[in-house]
Amino acid sequence: MAKPPDDQRLELLQGTLDMLILRTLQWGPQHGHGIGLAIRARSDALLKVETGSLYPALHRLVKRGWLKAEWGVSEAHQRAKFYRLTAAGKAQLLREQDRWSQLVDAIGRVMNPEPAGKE
Amino acid sequence: MRPHDDDLDDEIRGHLAISIKERIERGEDPASARLAALKEFGNLTLTRDSMRSVWRYGWLDAADALARDLRFALRALLRARGLAATVVVTLALGIGANAAIFSVVRGVLLRPLVNRDEDRLIYIRQSAPGIGAENMTFSMPEIGDIESRATTVAAFGDFSTVDFALTGLGIEPRMVKAGVVNGSFFDVMGLHPVLGRLINRKDDGKDAEGAAVLTYRFWTTALNSDPTVVGKTIRLGVRTATVVGVLEPSVPYPTDTEIIANVVTSPHHLGATMVTRRTHRMTELFGRLAPGATVEAARAELTAAYAATVRAHPEAYSPRANVQLKISRLRDQIAAPARAILLVLLAAAAVVFVIACSNVANLILARSVRREGELAVRAALGAGPGALRRTLLAESLVLCTAGAVLGIALARPLVAVVAQFAARFSVRALEVTIDTSVLWVGAALAIAAAVLLAYVPRLPSPQAPAGLGLASGVRITPGTNRRLRIFATTQIAFSFVLLAGAAMLLTTLVALQTAHTGFDMRRVVAFDVPSAAAGESDIDFYQEATRRVGRLPGVEGVALSMFVPWRDAGSFGPGIQFAVDGYRPADGEENPRARFRVVSPRFFAVMGVPLVAGRDFTDEDRDGSELVVIVSQSVAQRLFPNGEPLNRHMWWTDPYFGSKVARRRIVGVVADVDDESIVRGPSMAIYQPVRQIGVAGRLFVRAAGDPYALVPAVRRTIHELSADQPVERAATLEDIRSEVLSPDRVNAFVFSGFAGIALLIAVVGVAGVLAFSVSARTREFGVRLAIGSSPRHLLARVLSEGMAIAAIGVAVGAVGGLALAGAAGKFFDHVQVPGALPMASAAAVLIAAAVGASLMPAARASRVDVMQALRSE
Repeated sequence: MAKPPDDQRLELLQGTLDMLILRTLQWGPQHGHGIGLAIRARSDALLKVETGSLYPALHRLVKRGWLKAEWGVSEAHQRAKFYRLTAAGKAQLLREQDRWSQLVDAIGRVMNPEPAGKE
Repeated sequence: MRPHDDDLDDEIRGHLAISIKERIERGEDPASARLAALKEFGNLTLTRDSMRSVWRYGWLDAADALARDLRFALRALLRARGLAATVVVTLALGIGANAAIFSVVRGVLLRPLVNRDEDRLIYIRQSAPGIGAENMTFSMPEIGDIESRATTVAAFGDFSTVDFALTGLGIEPRMVKAGVVNGSFFDVMGLHPVLGRLINRKDDGKDAEGAAVLTYRFWTTALNSDPTVVGKTIRLGVRTATVVGVLEPSVPYPTDTEIIANVVTSPHHLGATMVTRRTHRMTELFGRLAPGATVEAARAELTAAYAATVRAHPEAYSPRANVQLKISRLRDQIAAPARAILLVLLAAAAVVFVIACSNVANLILARSVRREGELAVRAALGAGPGALRRTLLAESLVLCTAGAVLGIALARPLVAVVAQFAARFSVRALEVTIDTSVLWVGAALAIAAAVLLAYVPRLPSPQAPAGLGLASGVRITPGTNRRLRIFATTQIAFSFVLLAGAAMLLTTLVALQTAHTGFDMRRVVAFDVPSAAAGESDIDFYQEATRRVGRLPGVEGVALSMFVPWRDAGSFGPGIQFAVDGYRPADGEENPRARFRVVSPRFFAVMGVPLVAGRDFTDEDRDGSELVVIVSQSVAQRLFPNGEPLNRHMWWTDPYFGSKVARRRIVGVVADVDDESIVRGPSMAIYQPVRQIGVAGRLFVRAAGDPYALVPAVRRTIHELSADQPVERAATLEDIRSEVLSPDRVNAFVFSGFAGIALLIAVVGVAGVLAFSVSARTREFGVRLAIGSSPRHLLARVLSEGMAIAAIGVAVGAVGGLALAGAAGKFFDHVQVPGALPMASAAAVLIAAAVGASLMPAARASRVDVMQALRSE
């Protein structure tokens, strides 16, 4: 996995981490480390989630009832806590996705008539 | 739901393990893989803490924050020890005074009596406002009338107070306050014995055996709770009685009796006068409401019945007396004398609390202005208004809790003092103890103060330019300045109310204490030498006692009477009607009334009362010789303004003396002395010789030197004559008067204490406000000095600010106080408004104190160094 230099990495926009976690878990239960890796991989390593933000966010989502946590064993035979999307979490993901695309759309229209491309 | 701390650790550990494993699989060596994983993870503790904080509940969060704020507040206050101490002491005074007074009020006015179904108990009295008799008590025929017509009252108990000379039980012979009751009394009162039995219906009637019940207090104090007392025989005056039981602890009413006996022990109660004479009133009446009846129903029924009785016996109820029947709940009746004074004290304590709070508010306000910079920094760092308020609340909570703790500690001794004081008005005060209610009151007051104080300071507003607050130096905004002044004015106003009240009580007291009484106060000592049985006395015994005491060295004179000035006040009613040759009352006017006094020869000389005309009594004025009297100057002047009173004849017209009235010749006129009331008024009195009436009981000895030095010799001399004769309560007239005055004195003392506290707090308040305002205006003063103001001008300016606060406060206090007195007058009788002198002196004290308090800040203002002041910002 090629790592981009640190100055190319993007800061997460405030409030998007929850959405990213929910989206990541749509593919199935995963532990914290796996979620972090998945977000990094899917963003081509442009987004890096700090564990210091990831874990509190996971717990916050569990507390709100959008995720469910249970202990399990990782593929590497390690005991780990797996997070799974609940029904309420799925609904929340849909809401956040809608909001996000509206936001992107709106900001894009202001900034630039051409579609925003990846660097 | 909430994960355990270990759970969080496990989760982090799992994360690290997976991360390390992956790195090892990628080929890193275990040690560096581990380091890299840890590095990547970042701050472990912080992450775990933020995970944990996700799970914290709202209130836990708040409690945690509060605990943090409290710790912070404690540290901040420790840095401002002087301020904290002032605030805590001020609050403690306010809270302590309130808690103490409240405990007493609760104990005396609100707590139920121990009597069974005490709210069904009523007390019935007969008052005659027309002749100034609040409670005339009842005669047996009157009680019979009331009993026979009542349906709303299930049962009546009657009680008459008598003094018995008690012998037996192995104690010194002495006079005891006793009650004589009918058989239903204890049943009506709903009381139980702790030992033996109480008096019941079988003890009624003249053939019953004498039976006596001891009160709990007498049994425990005089008899050391002797368990074998039941069955012992005692002598009460001329009769004997058996002790049948001991009464449970209960409120003694109407008097603090030691023994309660059945009717047969008092020969007087079996006599015809007692049984048949309608105007022979000496009995108090208690009732227990019938099931379902209310006090109002009983009042309506009994008042109607009473009106019929009054109509049926016009000779016993003079129209001028304006007799009325009054019915109240027993509990209210017992508390009544203390109610007004306790409510006044409660109000005074509340005022002290308000003053304390406004003073503390001032201190806090000044402090918060000084720390506006700090608050601005905290606001800039992201503390919301809530968080800032919480900081302030935490500080005031710490202060108020400390104040409350100290206040409650203070309340304990205060309760004892106030209870002693209130005991002069209601016996119930003696049972008052400090209890948990004090804690509640203290806590409630502390919380009220804390919340109030936290909302006093202004927060830095988010809109305000932060630079101003962040800059060093103190500035007072006009709003803060106004608040400071309003609080200071409030303190002055409330202090004025208290001071004026205290000044009023003090002036009254001083006037009473320095009043000329007409007696020689210091050299005469009075003794109670009660006759063995009430109403009967061996006059020869008194004659012999007088003769022997008169021979003692150091005795200048001895006399007998039946009345110790002031101490025996009220024991002979409001005066007895009489008529005199040569004086005819105007149409519609009743016969004049005069005090009935019995004295021995030389009484006036011993007491220092000058004989104005005629002669003193002599030993020849005795049974069988011509009946003579001496009248007071008031009698002479009122009845014979132009004539000569001597040698005219007078006779008593009161029905008590029966129909065959003896005519008595006036042989002398003496100066007026008012031996009934402390406030000297006109005193119509008619004196009769001891040997013609046959009543004595009070011995007066005039000493050449120290009067108290004679007491043992006098007592010994009388005991030589009769070993069982009680000789009690020796005191000089001066001390007797002080004793009678002591409620007034204690009243004035307690109130002055409150006023003193209030004054102290107010002075601290004014001084604090001005000192603060001066320190914050250093720059202004510097500018003023620079453009030519003289230091003296600045001094005068600050002094006048202090004066203005005081003057406005006094004006507000005077207006508010008078309005309050007016409002109180609607609910209570006898609301006194201070006269001009107390008001003026209170105002003078306050303004002088305010000027004194302003002096130091003013001096500081005038000494401001111009250059330093201008450079300071």
